Amino acid sequence: MVRRYRFYIFLFVLLCANLLLVHRTFSQNHQRSVDDTVQNKLTLDLAVMCEEVKEKDKTPINQAIVFPIKIGKVSCFSMFDPVPEKTFIYHKWFHKDTPSTNKRLTLQPPRWATYSSIQLRETDKGPWRVEISDRKGNLLYILRFSITD
Amino acid sequence: MSFFASIRWQDIIDILLNSYILFRLYVLFRETYVFRVLTGLALLWIFQRIAVFFGLILTSWVLQGITAVAALIIIIVFRNEIRSVLQAKNLKAILWGFPQKSVPTTIQIIIDSINALSKRHIGALIVLPAKEDLKDMVQSGIPLRGLVSKEMITSIFWGDNPVHDGAAIIEGDRIAEVGVILPLSYRSDLPSHYGTRHRAALGLAETTDALIVVVSEETGKVLVAKDSNIEEIYGNTDLIKILQAHVGVYEEENGYQQREKFKISIAAIVSVFFITGMWFSFSKGFDTLITLEIPAEYTKRDPRFEIVDASVHTVRLDLTGSGALIKSMQPEQVQVKLDLENAVVGQNIFSITQENITLPPGIFLRKVVPSVIEVTLDETIKKEIPVQIDWVGELPKGLILSEIFFDPEKIEVVGGKRILENLSTIYTEKVHLESMKISGTMFANLALTPAALKIAPGSKDKIRIAYVIKPRIE
Repeated sequence: MVRRYRFYIFLFVLLCANLLLVHRTFSQNHQRSVDDTVQNKLTLDLAVMCEEVKEKDKTPINQAIVFPIKIGKVSCFSMFDPVPEKTFIYHKWFHKDTPSTNKRLTLQPPRWATYSSIQLRETDKGPWRVEISDRKGNLLYILRFSITD
Repeated sequence: MSFFASIRWQDIIDILLNSYILFRLYVLFRETYVFRVLTGLALLWIFQRIAVFFGLILTSWVLQGITAVAALIIIIVFRNEIRSVLQAKNLKAILWGFPQKSVPTTIQIIIDSINALSKRHIGALIVLPAKEDLKDMVQSGIPLRGLVSKEMITSIFWGDNPVHDGAAIIEGDRIAEVGVILPLSYRSDLPSHYGTRHRAALGLAETTDALIVVVSEETGKVLVAKDSNIEEIYGNTDLIKILQAHVGVYEEENGYQQREKFKISIAAIVSVFFITGMWFSFSKGFDTLITLEIPAEYTKRDPRFEIVDASVHTVRLDLTGSGALIKSMQPEQVQVKLDLENAVVGQNIFSITQENITLPPGIFLRKVVPSVIEVTLDETIKKEIPVQIDWVGELPKGLILSEIFFDPEKIEVVGGKRILENLSTIYTEKVHLESMKISGTMFANLALTPAALKIAPGSKDKIRIAYVIKPRIE
């Protein structure tokens, strides 16, 4: 009797063991995935306003709060570390609370520095701000500066 | 008829009140220099109006100048007179009383003198002649021709005066003779205590129509002898009556009082007519139109709400009234008030009616533009808003403002919900860069726009800024 069902019992135990192994493997993968996400979250490492960005090594030059209009251009420099995956961010420029421009900038892993610039005109004098936000529109940082004589 | 129907009860009171004030001014200041000068001023003003009416440019201009200057001068020059009239009288006298003329008459002086002599028991004999000449009846008189005065009469009868035993004859307002010897009466029915003075008085009274006043040296009693009678006088009132009747001034006094009453009555009537005329010229004169832009005021606003918008801020009122009233009207006398007691958050529409408009008396509303005002109310809330420094000017050459740290970075602001929801930054007032050569700190005030915003209680209203200046990398 026992010999007759021995084969089926063996098959059942094998099936159970298989199911257990599959579950453990899935759980471990999921945990690793969560851990990876936390460690590799897109992080803004540096955000400054500057007169220009050196193209060679992507470093901001003459970081400042106030920019004379005669320099002709002002840039918003932002550096992200880490960048877990290819994504994009936004630089939204506001002049006296009125939206001026919205620049979409691509980021490449593992770290990336990028910037947006505007050409200055006589009418651009006054207080400005740049809102840096991620692809979902979550606000990451606000930079405030002024364009003066 | 409709003209009289348009007169309100307030207008009647207005006219009567001002008429009474004018009448009282006349009563208080009449027969003073002030009144005469005021009359002159009034005449000047009337001439000036006539000159204007006939288009006499220079005359009207000169008269206007003189009137204006004279009005100022009268207050300065006659300040003492005005003060004495107002200070010397109590409130009742100013409002109701009629000041009597207090110029003492000869009769009053004689009575005062007799009283003084009687009080001191100084014997006296005063003769007041009537129509008949006394020369043949009296003797030894010494001519004096001095003005009647109390001091003079009492000194004549003073015991040490050589003429004190004789009589004094008073003619009009002068003491004609003193030390006069009068004829004695030989009547046998006189009381035994009557002395020579009494007999002398009666003696002259029997033979002439003169009135003789006797002051008894022994008793101080006053007696009057006339027409063979001599009687004792017990009071000043009787003595006044007798003397007035003798001199014949009783009627004159009465006539004077009558004339005074007549004058006062005429003055009262003239006051009423004058003020009525002025009132009509002011309030019912030529109709004049005026258009005023009046700011709308809002009352009884719920403190939780705030006015964030209104379709108009001023209301145009077309007003009419007499030229004089329109000219004298002050802008602050005209008000447009809207009651916000029942207003709600959002848009409210108010019709501007007569009830919303306050006008000075005699001014009437013709038209309101616009007749409707839309007012938007908002709920008052608090919100924390980031601060941004509003830099202006130019930094010294070769420098950059590389970093700033400021406190507080956010400010709690109170204002309308609709405004605050769309407000993302509070700016400071303009901060100038010119003087910033090295790193340091400074303070800046906040510039709240719109003005309806307020800094919440407990929140700082000044921003402390620490700044870092660095050389520019060329």
